[in-house]
Amino acid sequence: MGETILQMQGIQKYFSGVHALKGVDFELKAGEVHALMGENGAGKSTLIKVLCGIHKRDGGSVTLFGKDVNFHNIAESQAAGISVIHQELNMMNHLTVAQNMFVGREPRKGIIIDDGRMIREAQALFDKIGVKIDPTIKLGELTVGKQQMVEIAKAVSRDCKLLVLDEPTAALTQPEVEELFKIMRDLQAKGIGMIYISHRMDEINRISDRVTVMRDGEYVGTVNTAEVTKDDIVKMMVGRVIMSDQKEASTVPADAPVVLEVKNLNAGKMVKNVSFQLHKGEILGFAGLMGAGRTEVARALYGADPRQTGEIYLNGKRVNIKTPEQAVKNGICYLSEDRKRYGLMLDKSVADNSAIASLDDFITFGLINDREITRVSAEANAKLRTKTPSMEQLLKNLSGGNQQKVIIARWLMKNCDIFIFDEPTRGIDVGAKSEIYVLMEELVKQGKSIIMISSELPEVLRMSDRVLVMCEGRKTGELDIAEATQENIMQLATMREEN
Amino acid sequence: MSKKNNPLQAVRGMLAGGKQNFIIILAAIALFVVFTLINPGFASEGNLLTIAKAFVPYAILSLGVTFVIATGGIDLSIGTVCIGSAVLAGALCKTGVSQEDGTLWLTIPIILATGLAFGLINGFLVAKCKIAPFIATLGSMLFSRGLTAVVAEGVRNMSSAVKYPTTGWFQKIFTNLNGFPIGLIWVLGLTIICMIVMYKTKVGRYILAIGSNEEATRLSGINTDKYKIIAYAISGTFAALAALFYVAANPSLTLAAGNGMELDAVAGVYIGGTSTTGGSATIIGSILGAIILVIIRQGLNLAMAGGVGISATNITYAVTGVIVVGAVMLDVLKKKSAAKVKIDAIDKAEKVGTETKG
Repeated sequence: MGETILQMQGIQKYFSGVHALKGVDFELKAGEVHALMGENGAGKSTLIKVLCGIHKRDGGSVTLFGKDVNFHNIAESQAAGISVIHQELNMMNHLTVAQNMFVGREPRKGIIIDDGRMIREAQALFDKIGVKIDPTIKLGELTVGKQQMVEIAKAVSRDCKLLVLDEPTAALTQPEVEELFKIMRDLQAKGIGMIYISHRMDEINRISDRVTVMRDGEYVGTVNTAEVTKDDIVKMMVGRVIMSDQKEASTVPADAPVVLEVKNLNAGKMVKNVSFQLHKGEILGFAGLMGAGRTEVARALYGADPRQTGEIYLNGKRVNIKTPEQAVKNGICYLSEDRKRYGLMLDKSVADNSAIASLDDFITFGLINDREITRVSAEANAKLRTKTPSMEQLLKNLSGGNQQKVIIARWLMKNCDIFIFDEPTRGIDVGAKSEIYVLMEELVKQGKSIIMISSELPEVLRMSDRVLVMCEGRKTGELDIAEATQENIMQLATMREEN
Repeated sequence: MSKKNNPLQAVRGMLAGGKQNFIIILAAIALFVVFTLINPGFASEGNLLTIAKAFVPYAILSLGVTFVIATGGIDLSIGTVCIGSAVLAGALCKTGVSQEDGTLWLTIPIILATGLAFGLINGFLVAKCKIAPFIATLGSMLFSRGLTAVVAEGVRNMSSAVKYPTTGWFQKIFTNLNGFPIGLIWVLGLTIICMIVMYKTKVGRYILAIGSNEEATRLSGINTDKYKIIAYAISGTFAALAALFYVAANPSLTLAAGNGMELDAVAGVYIGGTSTTGGSATIIGSILGAIILVIIRQGLNLAMAGGVGISATNITYAVTGVIVVGAVMLDVLKKKSAAKVKIDAIDKAEKVGTETKG
């Protein structure tokens, strides 16, 4: 590790009376990976925004390369060598990789863009950081992981000295995470300092040199990663220890009836002849790599996407589900991995979002009883411990974990029997995560059944009674939880078809 | 969760929502005063009646199209559907041949059915064929204009004007009940009905949900196609309703009368504060928007009446353009400042939540 490149001291930030940052210190050295941790709402993003000029600080000092700085916008901080890779990538899917990398600073011959040079330069950058990406294909055709690497290459091309990675692995598969870490280590060797925001403890242990923890806008402390355990960090973050052991055996009785059976499901290019059963009171984990076709199975089953063939049986009776409407009528609900696009009405209230699926229950003489909606929504959300000042609060003002709870409340109010959770804890902080686990356990205790799609193996192993593994659209195996391990799941998840 | 926050928040919400309405009412009063100062005739009883008559069809068009705009769509066909349906019905029923034409009553179901049919076609094109609302309704705007003209020419062998009776029961019901502008009562009634439908029924709630996030609404188990079609059907039917009031007040009508009507109606909705991207809608705002536009049109008409040689109609277009862009710009600015607050509202909400919980 080299000399200190960034020193933030006693950073203060107020938002209309709310004290968001209460004197936060942060330090980054050249070639260091410094993890920034804390639950959602702890102030991590605010701190980063103060650093890169989106927010003006109300107190404290920022020293970059020995100089006091006070950036007014992103352009200024970028010029000073800071690049931020956001969790949600803001790129143009219809343009090529090279065009995305050089947008706004295209190499030109006169007034004509020099495509050849742009592609060559992009290729050179990829070679430099050691990733294989064709700069001439459309960005949208790349996986999220590869897109992220394009962003990193872009940052490197801007001669960035300080890279902020905001939950970069949230949407990545294990091999992609490995590739990202390899790149990060290369950058480290080149002396680039990195601020790494993530909720995944395992990664923090592997990649970071130091960890700074924040809680409720306060600076809790900075520790050397090698000297602390996972539990120490979690304790710093939340003041309590969270269990993350594997479930030892299935809690489903052997004679539990089959509530859902799917036979020979084919849909689009991503679902090939998938069959499975779901029992009453069971959590069936869907494991696999990104792009294995798990979400596509769920969407085809739910009627969100058309399916070519396949039979669906509910409690032994064949049903014809072609639309989400029919699925919901049959007691099936689906909680999407991409909440913003497929779940939330951000500019509507918590009550509106909670009641949208069960509106029929609140109608008397054709009119909606809003008082009753507020009462029942408040009840459902209280059960889930959704943190919101009121039922009238707009959903966009809630944190990711609380937004997810509102969607769960939506389906609790509908009283569905089969829940399909697609990446239920993606982008959700540790505390809310364990609350969602507890809730899923409660649901199955009440005799509901759950399909849980998850890319986090510890989550699959902790929650599932049975694990179904997919690879490239096919079901490659089914494991009872008692015999499932990270290793044998990964083996099935990478069991590609031999041609 | 805090119970005591609820009523306070509701009051605050009402004030915030009503603020734009308040501004529009102030603007309308100011315009009224200004136009009266320019030409005292503006406040005369005769002129007020003229304003009321002109206001009614526009208000009804605005009411209907608010439902489509609330889904995040647009309906450009309402102007030509409105006039086209009246021309079609007039031609088919040979109205105006004599004052007491026996088939006059038949125009009402024909007009309403035509409007509904075009609304359903628009809804089908948008919801089922996934055609962008702008294109689909642009197509049916041109189609309805052409089709009604062809039918009118074919049936009546006339290409200029279709005539409705100038006095009689039709006028008494729709425009002039012994000197009273009865259309205003209709507008009041329709406004109340629209408010109930938009805010208190499943149809309105789902329409707003679609405007907010269509895919999330569909995945919540709602037949979004059906409710989109309903929105366009409401818009088309209200266009036809507007036609009844229009022909009652303007018994001799040409097809060209419908050109540009849709833009005025849509402009009124935007001025009223309904979100251009859907998801939130204000029925009262749409009515107030229509009032503003009619005051401006009639006011400029009178103000220009001095004979300065400038066309009041063209000035009206220019002024309307400025006002619409201005109103939407205000909306954008409002959202921008809200978004600025939003960036860290997540942190804040979390905190507020913890505090009220504890």
